[in-house]
Amino acid sequence: MTDAIAKPEQHPTPSAGGGARRVSAAALAVSFALWAYLVYAAPLDSVQGLIQKILYVHVPCWFAAYAGFALTAVCGGLYLWKNDERYDRVAVAGAEVGVVFCTLGLVTGPIWAKGTWGHWWAWDPRLTMTLVLWFIYLAYLLLRSFTEGSTRTARFASVYGIAGLAAVPLNYFAIELFGGAAMHPDNLERGSLGEGMGWPFAAGAITALLAMLHLVLLRVDLERRRAAEGPSTPDWASAEGD
Amino acid sequence: MNALLAVLWKDLLTELRSRDRAIAMLLFSMLMVVIFHFSLPGGATAATRAYAPGLLWVAYVFAALLGLGRSFAIELENGAIEVLARAPVDRGWVLLGKTLANMLILGVVQALTALVFALFFEMNLLPVALPLAGVVALGSLGLCAVGTFFAAVAVRTRLREVMLPLLALPFYIPVLVAATRATNTLLETGSVSFASIHFLLVTDGSYLIASFILSDFVLDE
Repeated sequence: MTDAIAKPEQHPTPSAGGGARRVSAAALAVSFALWAYLVYAAPLDSVQGLIQKILYVHVPCWFAAYAGFALTAVCGGLYLWKNDERYDRVAVAGAEVGVVFCTLGLVTGPIWAKGTWGHWWAWDPRLTMTLVLWFIYLAYLLLRSFTEGSTRTARFASVYGIAGLAAVPLNYFAIELFGGAAMHPDNLERGSLGEGMGWPFAAGAITALLAMLHLVLLRVDLERRRAAEGPSTPDWASAEGD
Repeated sequence: MNALLAVLWKDLLTELRSRDRAIAMLLFSMLMVVIFHFSLPGGATAATRAYAPGLLWVAYVFAALLGLGRSFAIELENGAIEVLARAPVDRGWVLLGKTLANMLILGVVQALTALVFALFFEMNLLPVALPLAGVVALGSLGLCAVGTFFAAVAVRTRLREVMLPLLALPFYIPVLVAATRATNTLLETGSVSFASIHFLLVTDGSYLIASFILSDFVLDE
């Protein structure tokens, strides 16, 4: 009898957000299938040929990475303001998922660049800026694992997550003012997308953002379960580290 | 404001009495200059001298990181950091006081390093000494503002000596880009490039304001 009452208390809301996760998984599956078909059916680029199709992976990865980092910064600010640890769980999820997509973008970029520009790497402002962001959010994750005490971890991480995104304009202008020539197109309005490339590109962007959302929801749920495990979490975390 | 002066005076007095931090930083940056000589082809050739601004700033950055890490590590002894955080003053002033103390200590190290650098690489820095000191001061204000702020964070983590460079270096890029450009123009033409100086002023200002506003979140009991 007591067990039956105690159990729900140990795991307060085991299915919280389960519905949202199922919806995001279904939407992701549909969007992924549509994207795969549209990329397959998209016309070949008249100059670059097949390699141009990496666009439908490369650029959506950046949308997802920036969305993840923005989520970290915004939720970091909300955590410092409201002092509610739920915001911190979303912040860490955003940073982790953002780093994954940023890594994918940094890997697919040079593959495309080697095929079209002839170089693996160029010190182009946007390229350098995203590399700096990658370093910043990896440092964010390291800072989390090296700080002791859960409220201090959340507080330090929030500050660093905000500072990381706030440093974007400074870094960007520094690199643009004094750095190398820009090789990326300025924006989409300049018509860098050819005819028939808009839909697969849009599908790619939606798929990447849905994938980011789904991974963030899974990651937040993991953090929530860890927190629900109770105060034992900091103990094993620090015992493992030392 | 009084808190700023009090912290500044306390840090400078501690350093004057022990001198261990400045000596360690100076030896380290001198060793780096020697290592530059052996790791670059041709020793003190014109080609090597073209890299001088970059090399000088690399030495400055590593010396700064070495000193900044100690800046809060010494406060851990006897729990002084908790007293600092509990003082009934705005923590922003405490952080700014420490920033200025770090900058002054780093300034002494930078001046002596530049002297050694000029000797080893046969460069005459005397004609541009004054504007060079100005550029270096502007650059190190940015380095120390962001570095002192993250030193307060890193000191509370495990592996703090590793954490500080990882946290601070991405934020050093804008300062370094502008400072090396300004130094380069100065050494090449003898005059200052105002685009770099403006950029340094903007960067320093934003780092100082940000560290003042966010000081409550990094200096805690």
